[in-house]
Amino acid sequence: MTDPVPSAHAHAPFAPAAARATVTAAALAARHDLVVCNECDAVHERITLARGTVARCRRCNALLGRGHVIGTEKLLAFAIASLLLIIIGNSAPIVTLDFQGVVSQATLPQAIEATWNAGQPFVAVLTAATALVFPLVFTILRLYLLGSLVRGIVPRGFVPAMHMLAFVTRWGMAEVFMLGTLVAVVRCASLTSATPGIGLFAYGAVTLLITAITAAGTHNLWKRSSEIGGNA
Amino acid sequence: MSEASSLQTGAQLRLYGCPTCGRVSQLLHPIADSTPLPCPRCATPLHHRRPRSLQRTWAYLIAATILYIPANLLPIMSTSNVFQGETLHTILGGIEELRTGGDWLLALIVFIASIAVPMLKIGALLVLVITAQRRSRWKQVERAQLYRMIDAVGHWSMLDVFVVVLLVGTIRFGPLGGVMPEPGLLAFGAVVVLTMLAAGSFDPRLIWPEEEAPQRHP
Ligand SMILES: [Zn+2]
Ligand SMILES: [Zn+2]
Repeated sequence: MTDPVPSAHAHAPFAPAAARATVTAAALAARHDLVVCNECDAVHERITLARGTVARCRRCNALLGRGHVIGTEKLLAFAIASLLLIIIGNSAPIVTLDFQGVVSQATLPQAIEATWNAGQPFVAVLTAATALVFPLVFTILRLYLLGSLVRGIVPRGFVPAMHMLAFVTRWGMAEVFMLGTLVAVVRCASLTSATPGIGLFAYGAVTLLITAITAAGTHNLWKRSSEIGGNA
Repeated sequence: MSEASSLQTGAQLRLYGCPTCGRVSQLLHPIADSTPLPCPRCATPLHHRRPRSLQRTWAYLIAATILYIPANLLPIMSTSNVFQGETLHTILGGIEELRTGGDWLLALIVFIASIAVPMLKIGALLVLVITAQRRSRWKQVERAQLYRMIDAVGHWSMLDVFVVVLLVGTIRFGPLGGVMPEPGLLAFGAVVVLTMLAAGSFDPRLIWPEEEAPQRHP
């Protein structure tokens, strides 16, 4: 990355009080030629990244962007596969136990329900949200947004959907849940015979797909919507 | 790092990078600090430093530290059967059971996720908020790296919560055996959420205080 460009307005005088109340979008000019680091406020010139390369901040080493390896069509296919696997992962048992001929098995929704009924509604809701709802909403939002944008349409509610996507990306924990199922299977196996179920393998695949989709970032979605919509 | 001194910042150039959509906005006329600046593309409020970031981080951090005590002292689950009656399990107890059962690797993974990560996170956030409050320039690159690390690993602490929920759902053999969640699990889940909120409230740009303009303070 090369040196940032200094502003021509760096020494402009303060605007009169009357003008302060109305800061319109016109007062905030887009600088598509620049990147500002989210983690240290350093300004960089925007460069085009080759596939598979990443740009890091010169001052704090934060990730500024990456050249994408996975194409749009592949991302759509990943999202469709992820949706199917989340459905399978939540309807198939995660682990099956055989205790002297008595068989017990549970899906994720059943485990959440049992926790709720055992008097821990907060833990049940927390698990439902982070292991089930957020990964599911993440997948549906990716399908909805990307599915419209590839057809040249900015979908309804694009901006709120993007804000929601950022939230569920941060709070979705499919990969942690995946590791949790492995630990649970091992702990059950110390008591009785335990067999990993289909649900566990489905969640393993969901983890990989969500990780791949997340790594692609959201920059392309914003860029495409700007190109189609012609705004900002 | 000698080239870093030639860098200019958004605050100096009146440039705002949007944390949500990445759009870079240049403010054309100076305005009062209190004027809200929504991003023209996605309406996220733009700031050079997020307001009240340290106060929020402190609040979540103190709450997490207090709850960390019951999370570790109280049992997170109980197992019961007709032969042995009820047994209570704490987080450390569960790790010990895995270790004595011969599952060294899993015991280590659960130890890292449940004990090491929350402690490191609380400790690291304390270092980050205190140094940021002092506008310290001590090891800035390392502190930035530390912030990224704790923000990336924080959610792995949810591991034990998921394990107990799955055991409660699966081990249901009536009088032969059952697992119940216990109050420690609630405290532990709250600690994980609160430390994630603390890390999310901390503005890493506070690691890089702006230089005072030399001509204004001769
Ligand atoms: Zn930076
Ligand atoms: Zn924005």
